[in-house]
Amino acid sequence: MTPNRHGSARIEFPNDLEIVLTREFDAPIQLVFDVLTKPEHVNKWFAPYEEKMKVCSIDLRVGGNYHFVMVTEDGTECSFRGTFLEVEPPTRTVETWTFEGWPGVEAVETVDLHEADGVTRLTHTLAFRDKGGRDHMNRTDGLESSYDNVEVLLRSLLDPEGTVSG
Amino acid sequence: MARSSTTSDVFNAIAEAHRRDILDALITGEKAVGEIVNGLPMSQPQVSKHLRVLSEVGLVRCRSEGRRRLYRLEPARLRPLQEWLAKYEQAWHDRMDRMDDYLSELQRGERQ
Repeated sequence: MTPNRHGSARIEFPNDLEIVLTREFDAPIQLVFDVLTKPEHVNKWFAPYEEKMKVCSIDLRVGGNYHFVMVTEDGTECSFRGTFLEVEPPTRTVETWTFEGWPGVEAVETVDLHEADGVTRLTHTLAFRDKGGRDHMNRTDGLESSYDNVEVLLRSLLDPEGTVSG
Repeated sequence: MARSSTTSDVFNAIAEAHRRDILDALITGEKAVGEIVNGLPMSQPQVSKHLRVLSEVGLVRCRSEGRRRLYRLEPARLRPLQEWLAKYEQAWHDRMDRMDDYLSELQRGERQ
């Protein structure tokens, strides 16, 4: 058995709006792209072990939609939806991202793949909507506050000095 | 989301941007209301209103020194947020690891 790369994902918060995950896989780029974008593959790894994929539809073309629903052990459904903005196999997809549990929160998800020496590096970015966008959504939804604000604070919490001092 | 829980839940309390600004202002140490107001584009009544909400959920604590009321941050009360985020971080790690295992599985299958 070759050593695996478990636990090697790097999660960073480069600014107030973005979350960036990077992770390397010992697999060719085309296979990694397929595993990320084809429902028959996504069904196999996306949901945690104790959760089940209930819906997994991916219409992989610009303007196409995806919809994932996971069901937790206690029967709660977690629904994610979005529309593809860019589809460039096998290196990149850009899609909108919404989670039903966080009404009013919208993000743009970017998946970038790069292969070198048989290792494919995944860079997965979630960029939450800018302030102007948020204000707009607040107006149309009548939501005064939304959990994307929580997200911003959480990012600052990741800097332990920020929470310990004071 | 005009829910009454705004005043009883840390998550709701910090969902308001101005309240986060007030918490940020207190990171460097205890401050009087006036000092907080000076550093932020908010009026004193606004700041006082937000401080009341933050006090109710325990994120800030107030003490009197003569006629001044001094507020300080209670960072330990932020723990639920940290735990919440840690869960998501762990979920991401796990998801990437499952994808890794699945990719290995597929590649073993291809070689056979």
